Amino acid sequence: MQWQREPTVSVAAKLSYFVRSATGSMVRSPFVHVIAIAALVLSLLGYGVARIASSQLDALMASLGGDVELTVYLGDGASGEAVDELEKSLANRTQGLVRRVSPAEALGRLATQLGDQGRALTDLAENPLPWSLEVRLPEGARDPASLAALAEKVRALPFVTQVDYGAEALERLSLISRAITLAGLVVFTLVFLTAIVIVSATLQLAIFSRRDEIEIQKLVGATDRFVRMPFLIEGLLQGLVAGALALGLSFALVRVIESEHGQMFAFARLSGRVVVDWLRLGAEQVGGGVLLGLSGSFLAVRRFLRV
Amino acid sequence: MIQMFHVTKAYPGDPPVLTDISLDIEKAEFIFLTGPSGAGKSTLLKLMFLAERPTKGEILIGGRNIARVRDSSVPFLRRNIGVVFQDFKLLPTRTVAENVGFTLDVIGVPRDEVRDKSVKMLRRVGLEHKADVSPLKLSGGEQQRVSLCRALVNDPAILLADEPTGNLDPALTVEMLDLLTDVNARGTTVVVATHDASLIARYRRRTLRLEHGSLVSDERGHKAAKLMTGEQ
Repeated sequence: MQWQREPTVSVAAKLSYFVRSATGSMVRSPFVHVIAIAALVLSLLGYGVARIASSQLDALMASLGGDVELTVYLGDGASGEAVDELEKSLANRTQGLVRRVSPAEALGRLATQLGDQGRALTDLAENPLPWSLEVRLPEGARDPASLAALAEKVRALPFVTQVDYGAEALERLSLISRAITLAGLVVFTLVFLTAIVIVSATLQLAIFSRRDEIEIQKLVGATDRFVRMPFLIEGLLQGLVAGALALGLSFALVRVIESEHGQMFAFARLSGRVVVDWLRLGAEQVGGGVLLGLSGSFLAVRRFLRV
Repeated sequence: MIQMFHVTKAYPGDPPVLTDISLDIEKAEFIFLTGPSGAGKSTLLKLMFLAERPTKGEILIGGRNIARVRDSSVPFLRRNIGVVFQDFKLLPTRTVAENVGFTLDVIGVPRDEVRDKSVKMLRRVGLEHKADVSPLKLSGGEQQRVSLCRALVNDPAILLADEPTGNLDPALTVEMLDLLTDVNARGTTVVVATHDASLIARYRRRTLRLEHGSLVSDERGHKAAKLMTGEQ
């Protein structure tokens, strides 16, 4: 007796069979798959919103940073050459715009800011404000750590009395950003694990509902891989569909925010547009969906499909 | 084709279901396997298609010792063995042709060939016109014929039938056995488990009788029929 092995069939033909089997099963029992896809869509949509919010926060920090100035207050004994030297050094180091501000200009600016109360300043016999150097910092030079180091170095100069650069605000924003990232990681780990469990549970139901079919498959000589593959592909398809839907919903959400109906989200918009790297987000949502779907189906097949 | 040497089958904590079974079934033989309910007929068939493994003893199928067959090779053994059950085991969500073609899908036959071969097989049993119908719309006899087609579409060397006429009326019973003898005439080794003495008396084939898990008789032709009618 010749033991039958598989006839020569192309990988594409086999894959086509498995995909047909998987899609056929999804069409015959749509409800459980809709539940799994919905769970995945919610997880991936939440992830997409968080990523968009994160990139908006980064852009916001960058734009706020445009207002960050480094102000160096000079003592009375500062010589012209020393101040010129410091001015050039700050310009070179930060690649920013350095401007010398006279005590008169500084007093006038303060009086303007104070409004009615500022009129009293103009009557002062002596101007208490010193000469200062104001450095408008470009984007690349706003890192709190390097600014702190620069400030420390400049403070050490004998003719410098004080250095200000909005340290507190920058560090706070940085902390907020880090906290959001960490919280996001924890939350999304839990959310994704939940999605995997839901996908696994729906595929358990699919396996249970097809137990008769599986029994017959084994009876007529199906290998373990043949039995398992359609379920793995179901998980993959669930993830693919969910990723695409999540991407579509993220896109729709951004359009709403950018439209006249999104006034409540005005704070999140810069120049009227929400900044999103769609290619990257799409790859993450669709790729993430596929990964979650496959993980859930692998879990279900491994634990509940006894072949 | 099928040889058993001192085969015993017992489940943990229970008395043996089969005890010291030795038999030799040749290629293209037609065998009745009979005995009262609980004698071990179904278990013996399960051992033949590796749904169970023997507790003791050896089983050779096609000259191959199946005790040494790894789990991963079991599917390839089963592709040489067709099995028919009393309860048909058809899938209600598939058409008749799709049920028959299931065997061919599993072994990777191209899609267009699956349909052709399935319909050809259904033609042999007179059910070609029901190829695209749901099995739920068929009579018991027709469902059993579809089940037989699924078991044979892959041209197996061995056909095992566990009470294939259990749910059929006498006329359909004879019809089914005629089909099985026809299959056997084409060279397939056929083993039919049945407690229906009238079938054995009518067809007069070699008959193995089990009682309480032991092989108590192995008679051929008219002797087997005499034994059955004598019991009646």
